[in-house]
Amino acid sequence: MGVLSLDLFVAALRLATPIAFVALGETFSERSGTINIGVEGTALAGALIGATVSFFSQSPWLGLAAAVGVGMLLGLIHAIWCVYLRSDHVVAGAAINLLVTGLAYFLTRVVWGWRGTSASAPILNPWLLVWTMVALVLISQIFLFRTPWGLRLRVVGEHPKAADTAGINVYRTRVGYSVLNGALCGLAGAFLFNNLGRFSVGMVGGRGFIGIAAMVVGNYRPIPAFLAAYLFGFVDALQMRLQDVIPSHFSIMLPYVLTIIVLAGFLGRANVPAALGKPYIKEEG
Amino acid sequence: MKLLRELGIVGVSVALGLGVGAIITAATGYSVPAVFRELVRGAFGDIYGFANTMTQATPILFTSLSFLIAFRVGLFNIGAEGQLLLGGFFAAWAGFTLNLPPILHVVVCLFFGAAAGAAWGFIPGWLRARRGANEFVTTMMLSYVALYLTSWLVSPGGPYHGHQWANQTARIMSSAELPRLMASGRELPSWGLVVGVLVAVIAWYFLFRTPRGYEIRAVGQSPLAAEYGGVDIARAQILAMVLAGALAGLGGAAEILGTHRRFIEGFSPGYGWDGIAGGLIARAHPIGAVFAALLMGALRAGGRAVDRAGVAPSDLAWVFQGLVILFVVAPELIRYFKRIRLRRRAHGRPEP
Amino acid sequence: MSAEAVRMEGIVKRFPGVVANAGIDLTLNYGEVHGLLGENGAGKSVLMSVLYGLYRPTEGQIYLNERPISIDSPAVAIRSGIGMVHQHFMLVPRLTVAENMVVGWETVRAKTFLDRPRIRQRIEELSEQYGLGVDATAVVEELSVGEQQRVEIVKALYRGAEVLILDEPTATLPEQEVAALFDTIRALQDEGKAVVFITHKLREALTICDQVTVLRKGEKVGSVPASEATERQLTEMMVGRDVVFEVQRERLESEGRPLLQLAGLSAVDDRGVPAVDEVDLTVHDHEIVGVAGVQGNGQTELVETICGLRKPRQGRVEVDGEDLTARSPRDMARKGLVHIPEDRHRRGLVLTFSVAENAILGRQYEAPFAAGRWGQSKRAIGGYARELVKRFNVSVPGVRTAVRALSGGNQQRVILARELDREPKVVIAAQPTRGLDVAGIEFVWEQLLEMRREGAAVLLVSMDLDELMTLSDRLVIMYQGKIVGERKPRDTDKQEIGLLMLGGAVEAS
Repeated sequence: MGVLSLDLFVAALRLATPIAFVALGETFSERSGTINIGVEGTALAGALIGATVSFFSQSPWLGLAAAVGVGMLLGLIHAIWCVYLRSDHVVAGAAINLLVTGLAYFLTRVVWGWRGTSASAPILNPWLLVWTMVALVLISQIFLFRTPWGLRLRVVGEHPKAADTAGINVYRTRVGYSVLNGALCGLAGAFLFNNLGRFSVGMVGGRGFIGIAAMVVGNYRPIPAFLAAYLFGFVDALQMRLQDVIPSHFSIMLPYVLTIIVLAGFLGRANVPAALGKPYIKEEG
Repeated sequence: MKLLRELGIVGVSVALGLGVGAIITAATGYSVPAVFRELVRGAFGDIYGFANTMTQATPILFTSLSFLIAFRVGLFNIGAEGQLLLGGFFAAWAGFTLNLPPILHVVVCLFFGAAAGAAWGFIPGWLRARRGANEFVTTMMLSYVALYLTSWLVSPGGPYHGHQWANQTARIMSSAELPRLMASGRELPSWGLVVGVLVAVIAWYFLFRTPRGYEIRAVGQSPLAAEYGGVDIARAQILAMVLAGALAGLGGAAEILGTHRRFIEGFSPGYGWDGIAGGLIARAHPIGAVFAALLMGALRAGGRAVDRAGVAPSDLAWVFQGLVILFVVAPELIRYFKRIRLRRRAHGRPEP
Repeated sequence: MSAEAVRMEGIVKRFPGVVANAGIDLTLNYGEVHGLLGENGAGKSVLMSVLYGLYRPTEGQIYLNERPISIDSPAVAIRSGIGMVHQHFMLVPRLTVAENMVVGWETVRAKTFLDRPRIRQRIEELSEQYGLGVDATAVVEELSVGEQQRVEIVKALYRGAEVLILDEPTATLPEQEVAALFDTIRALQDEGKAVVFITHKLREALTICDQVTVLRKGEKVGSVPASEATERQLTEMMVGRDVVFEVQRERLESEGRPLLQLAGLSAVDDRGVPAVDEVDLTVHDHEIVGVAGVQGNGQTELVETICGLRKPRQGRVEVDGEDLTARSPRDMARKGLVHIPEDRHRRGLVLTFSVAENAILGRQYEAPFAAGRWGQSKRAIGGYARELVKRFNVSVPGVRTAVRALSGGNQQRVILARELDREPKVVIAAQPTRGLDVAGIEFVWEQLLEMRREGAAVLLVSMDLDELMTLSDRLVIMYQGKIVGERKPRDTDKQEIGLLMLGGAVEAS
């Protein structure tokens, strides 16, 4: 024993937070029909801008707002690209990832003169964001399955034409939830910054993609997606303690391998929204 | 005509990307003319600049080809990064383990790299064709599996940790090295570039001059018509993914044998991701990929020159690249503007 | 006479290159079932989509309760009390009945949460009132087609529909459920709703409707009270008396060699529902056999099953005496059975490919186009394509042009050239002239007759009765996946075939 102490579970919650934010955002986005693999870059942008604004304003709150704001902006760009310009969702997301990575190296050089890292900046207590995440998970679960807006969202992703004939604006809905996804990714980035006290280009390090993995494993539902994120966070926390026993490399692989198994359908049917990734072309009218 | 139109779209996208890049340059207080001057000089100004461009372009060429061949069958291989890493590792392994005569050794190493990448491409191809698993998620996930796998292999606890303080393998034998094209020097392109161009030509031949390539393109353009024409769609998809993996693996092998001469953890700064950009800028054409890779290599090489000259940080070039890609993936943007203009005209409203 | 619900005046709807509605007037009254009758493409659905706000009319005015109204989205239509049950249901299979019904029109409590008990209660009330037997908690994908349709009807009523449009409600409905639907429609009528019943089935229209309006090619042919109309009169209004050009169809003696034989062939459609039901059919040399039938009675599936694109459930397909059941499309073509597919844009051609590339679709491994597995001769392909273009009079700038840039008629010529040049024993032609202009139709007809002259067996599936009557040596009629009759064109007329297609009594003349 000894390893399985309370602070292991607490550490796991902390490590799960950015993953869960992304998983939550991607759940909303994909439920409405938009795939966004740009979440990795969006979270990075959130961390970068959060750190920059906090550094200059000396206000971590302004930094937080800026992180959410830049996330929403990237979510909006992604939505415009996917919904109106009918760009492919996957490549649009990949483009955002590449762009933000470049911007991160560039801006850190411009602002601090170091390639890829920032100076320390004032932070909020990261636990604030951890509990925000937990609250948002619960609210999202209710929102998605117990409210009219959640119902409309699900119909837009499953059968956009049915939504359209029921008087729901498919385009606006998709753009809206893409922006929400961006905001949540911004929060993921904000957490990473507030957790470390500075920005570093490697700080997202695939957590955006693991967020997508958590969403897949959680089968497009907020609470299960959070549980998957928590599992990944737990494994992460555990491997830090077991480094000498088993190589960390293998435990880190778990989210990825698990996602592939889920996607292959070995664990039963997935709730993939029927119209995911397909542009809705409203007939001329 | 078609070529001109495609070039036009790419040209406008590149111009838009560089235009927005110029705005960012100016907004951050750097001199736009100076940056662009250094960029061009660093990339094409002299033989060393161009050599640097070619060196940077080599791995991107392979991953661009990898992305586009899967794209041609209608699938997204966004896991070229992992295929490249595995290919690089296995090429290195063959390079320091097998004892073979010079040229044969290189060929065998390249083959090992391609085979490892192919295996890593087969998995998502099979999962997609037979189990309907989204290939863009599986390739992405497998990419990370490959990253951690190779990273473990060369880590202090791993079996191929070949250096006291760095996570890397032992050096490959000299018989396995891909020689540099010009006199010695780390920044010079190796024969890997020649292999890459050769592979691009072969890929072009395969896609446009063989029945199998024809089938792959037919499946990508119209699965129903392909089925009607007697194509086994699942087989075409798997084949394309295997080839995509092999190309990326070959790229990893060429980079290791030609540039690093040993497998180093993290030797790829994201070549797999750059390949998505390269494949798209090339409009999924193998010969176009040569030029797309050169463009991206030029941005990298030019970026360094910008830095050296003290005009701006080199990473500005990366920002340019990101912007170019963002506009390349939105060809509708151009059509969109055109449509708005047409509609205005149709409604007899004056243009602003 | 009951009160006027909706009046549509001079509705014109133009799409690029097509006039779908050419100035149509229509009046709907409360407490009345109004039949909208016409063949496919007559403009019925477009007209009702205009009323439901899915399309904006190019010209014309709609009045609701005698007041002009502009319906520019379904949301407006719903708010105005207009409901529509689409032919393809607008239901999300994975959601419950209740969720599907209320989406966009939810009953909430505390302004935030779906009020499930009240929603369920309201659904049950409506369901009981009209005798629909809908379970609010069921998941839609587990319901039968008839049940899903009732869900759609309750959905419209839940939203307060006073005018209810039913778009081909019997098209996908099993026979035994039609009676129940009619009971529902009568109940709606008794409640004073204005009901529009879109159909191309005459007898149904006469059974359930008070007033019948007939459309043909986007124009209103007439509107008559159902009590005064006869099937024959409506058929004439529907199909018209268009004069078609004559083609040379000489008398030919068949050698009586059965080139295509189907024995007990059965297959299911994409949803797993039986679509082809024990079809026995033989087509001989020098013979064109026409398949008549209302769309959706299994013709598409029959063709796909014959050509190897759909696995049969049971039965046999023989080509010239050889059993070729469930072989791949490539095998079928190699054995002499070629296919002119009905969906030429998605099946027949790779639109982005050049004329030359499309000319060898299906023959990509044959010499001289392929040199083994690893070579392809552009020269042979180009030369062959140029030859085809010349022989079949395809009008193209060059064989490297993408077929997407060609007119519909020329696209079809490319397909015909490719398939017929293989000197087939059997030609399966599905809707070969749909959407073509007169010259294109004439060309296709000549080619099919040329095949017959050369001794091939031709199976012609068409919605166009004139085409079938002109070309066929024999006609079989498909209804609900079965062959329900066989006629020789010279012993019958369009009216009789029309009645058979609608599942009518066999003896009509």
